[in-house]
Amino acid sequence: MKRFFRLLVRLFPRAFREQFETEMLDHVREEYGRARSQGWIAATGFGVATTVNLIRSAIAERWNPTWTRAAVRSPEEKDMTSFFDNWARDLRHAARSLARAPGFTLVSALTLGLAIGVNAGMFSIVSRVLLNPLPFANPEQLVAISASAPGSDFPPEFGVSREFYLQYQESKLIENITTFNSFTSTLRVDDRVERVRMSQPTNSMYSTLRVSPIIGRIPVPEDENRVAVISHALWSTWFGSDSSVIGKSYEMSGSQRTIIGIMGPEFRFPDAETVLWMSDVIRADNIQVGRFGDRLIARVVPGTTPDALARELTTLASRLPDRFGGSPNYKRLIGQHRAVVRSAEDQVLGAVARPLWVLLAAVSVVLVIACANVANLFMVRAEGRQRDLAVRRAIGAARRELVRLQLAESLVVAALAGALAIFLAYVSLPAFLRAAPPRIPRLVDVHIDASTVLFTIVAALVAALACGIVPAVRASSPDLTRLREGGRGATRGRRWLRDGLVGAQTALALVLLIGSGLLIKSFWGLRHVNPGYDTRDIMTFQIAPDGPNLADGPAFARFHMDFMERIRALPGVQSVGVVENVPLNEATALGPFRSEEMSADPDAGKRLRYTFAAGDYFSAMGIRVLSGRPFPPRDLQATQGTVVISRSAAAQLWPGRDAVGRRVQMQGQTAWATVIGVVEDVKQNDYREAPQSVVYFPLVVTGNPDWTVASPEYVVKTPRAETIAPEIRALVKEVAPNAPMYRIFTLERLASDSMVQLSFTMLTLGILSALALVLGAIGLYGVLSYVVAERTREIGVRMALGARADQVRRMVVAQGARVVAGGVVVGVVVALWSTKILGSLLFGVAPLDLLTFLAMSGSMVAVGLLAAYLPARRASRVDPIDSLRSE
Amino acid sequence: MSILEYHVLLALAGGPLYGYAIKEAVANESAGTVTPRAGSLYRVIARLTTAGLVVESDPADEPPPHPGHARRYYTLTAAGRRTLAGEAARLKRTAAVAQKRLGVVQGRT
Repeated sequence: MKRFFRLLVRLFPRAFREQFETEMLDHVREEYGRARSQGWIAATGFGVATTVNLIRSAIAERWNPTWTRAAVRSPEEKDMTSFFDNWARDLRHAARSLARAPGFTLVSALTLGLAIGVNAGMFSIVSRVLLNPLPFANPEQLVAISASAPGSDFPPEFGVSREFYLQYQESKLIENITTFNSFTSTLRVDDRVERVRMSQPTNSMYSTLRVSPIIGRIPVPEDENRVAVISHALWSTWFGSDSSVIGKSYEMSGSQRTIIGIMGPEFRFPDAETVLWMSDVIRADNIQVGRFGDRLIARVVPGTTPDALARELTTLASRLPDRFGGSPNYKRLIGQHRAVVRSAEDQVLGAVARPLWVLLAAVSVVLVIACANVANLFMVRAEGRQRDLAVRRAIGAARRELVRLQLAESLVVAALAGALAIFLAYVSLPAFLRAAPPRIPRLVDVHIDASTVLFTIVAALVAALACGIVPAVRASSPDLTRLREGGRGATRGRRWLRDGLVGAQTALALVLLIGSGLLIKSFWGLRHVNPGYDTRDIMTFQIAPDGPNLADGPAFARFHMDFMERIRALPGVQSVGVVENVPLNEATALGPFRSEEMSADPDAGKRLRYTFAAGDYFSAMGIRVLSGRPFPPRDLQATQGTVVISRSAAAQLWPGRDAVGRRVQMQGQTAWATVIGVVEDVKQNDYREAPQSVVYFPLVVTGNPDWTVASPEYVVKTPRAETIAPEIRALVKEVAPNAPMYRIFTLERLASDSMVQLSFTMLTLGILSALALVLGAIGLYGVLSYVVAERTREIGVRMALGARADQVRRMVVAQGARVVAGGVVVGVVVALWSTKILGSLLFGVAPLDLLTFLAMSGSMVAVGLLAAYLPARRASRVDPIDSLRSE
Repeated sequence: MSILEYHVLLALAGGPLYGYAIKEAVANESAGTVTPRAGSLYRVIARLTTAGLVVESDPADEPPPHPGHARRYYTLTAAGRRTLAGEAARLKRTAAVAQKRLGVVQGRT
């Protein structure tokens, strides 16, 4: 108890304690003794009341001292209270002296605030998206499983088929496993009909992810495939958050399903757009073996490594044909199959991780530059106070006291910067998030929260230390020759440090500049790729008509042929076509094809992309016809039994020969079709990928009811691509009042969306490197200005002795140039090593692109020389008489 | 002047006292209505000392309770005595006014 009160009394200021500590402790002890003799209740009450009183009085005493007699302090004071006192005094002192230098304070707080602000914003994104991408319990146990089959003609990695799900349940390393898909289909609620994103997972999804609905229940096997769980977003928008929706049935993807549950708002799976999850039961008797493309997520036994699991699953999968049978092709494929296991976090982050890491690295570099800059400012400021510091040292101030005095200033500046940073992050983060590429997981959850504020405080403290410690340590051993009247200390020996800081800033700024230069060049290259089609003046949309009159292929085709005719009649429309998958919007399917000249052996064929087209598709898209002719736009009958193929498809099927007039077949699935034309290849998904080999079937293949396209995409070539949508919507209303019209884009917008990841990274990095460049230039300018001011007398003497203005300018610029040159050399070396992290973001440019390195180094030197020239010009205008007189 | 300050001056008017004795005297003379805790008490002593109303002094006659450890005793300065007298007079006047007014009010009801 005694020790406790002694601690409390320590809260009082030192001066007060020196006078009253013993008395107070005696007093408390005596009171406590009496209170205890009255029983433990009185003792406890006394203890609490006294504690509160002592704390309150100590705070009051610090706030508003009653004891003002100054105590003599020893400089080697070690106790906590005097530590606190001294810091408080120094911080007050620092705040006052900074208030007297508003320019310095403003510039340094702004510089640091800006840099910490971008770091705080980036931190809040990274902490949510990169460090915590899955909002599920124990996310480290979740893995994504796919398949690979080295040596087969399958893609390097592909989705599994449903029998894998059944087979993998045998795994001893897996606690729970679910398979799911993701597709767009029609949801009909009373009069409202729209195409929405849906998924059909197994019921084990809920247990695997460890999630449950906020209202209602999860599906059970008895539900078969007759129920669905809906998202919070769908519930609040379509159903007005009315919980009586549970138990009602609506048409989802063509069949009636009953809503049994509503998920919480944070549940977004497999992506943010998915609004309902339809129940599904997978049994050995209701699957088709070998329909690849489904995704698997499993929760593994803690401690399982992906490699161990992959080995086990590969073994399990090798027994698939024994259990489920399958074609010889399937058996061969399973022989080559290797399971691919990666953590689910890697899976969802995928390509978005890299740009974010790059930007995180870039903002840290900006912070380092800002710290170097502010450190330099502080050092210059400390130089100006050498006399003051020397006096303090001479009359007995301890080194640590001088260090503390300097650090107090940087702490005050950092506190201002931290407050500014939080404000900046708060106002700019929403704009940043809006500009960010879509499909970044959890981006909607990003906001400024307590952890961001904590990060900012830590960053500000670190920055204070980083930019305060060097000037502080230097200030602690001031040059006592400054005490001499008019004395000028030797500053030459100290210049290397300032020069070093400016050089480091130059180097780091150059690294960022080179990085953004490489991205700009990639972007320029990507903009100038020829994808095989036009993107200007093209609008695209989908409609999903249904009804009894569209029951068979020909009726379906007739509807679309007629509708194309009506669109063609709109003013300004040049041509109209339909296709199953518009480039940059949807992917085409893959299938095995063989030419008539090839043998019937399944291995002899080629795996090619295929899709369906009609109308003036090729001319509307600007896809060049290389030989033969495209489908006749108005005569559906004439297209039957024909195909159009792309250039590389022709080269694969008939190497070195003309394809027109020859026959091709999708192995085992279609009749032979005659090639009537060869068209240019297209880049289907992304400008970065290789052009695809495509076989275009006519919209409907008569006599094969399965081969109707569910909802073809329309492609309209018109200069009014941006504005024509309402007119088309009116036409849709006339011919199919219930049909939703959706996915309305211009091809230009799809093209820019496909590049948004690069353009966003490029823009952000560009802004950051511009910031770094400006900061670096300011740093150089500041240092040289100071050097010039310091050498005014020397320059005056030189000029009095006959030095010309241009010689003086050259001298100053040369000094700056040496620093910049050193920085550029270091920067280039660092960039050589670090541009590799841009990796797959780059397109058509090597990480060590000579031109970019040269151009960016050149601009860095140019900016550096400009920053050096301004002080140099001032130096050359020194009036010798004035400068000699000034001291 | 706060009530506690008044009572501390009042207690010391009887002669030098140390901290705990001041508290006891204050509690007695205020009939238990003013019982300062240690922190508040010593801040008031500090304030009165700084203001020159109270000064540290030798004890009147009591021997030190612990050998080798002298308590600090406080006593009124001349200024303290004047201030206390002035405050007492003021309190007396205001008390008289209060009684008179309360009497009038009671008379009416």
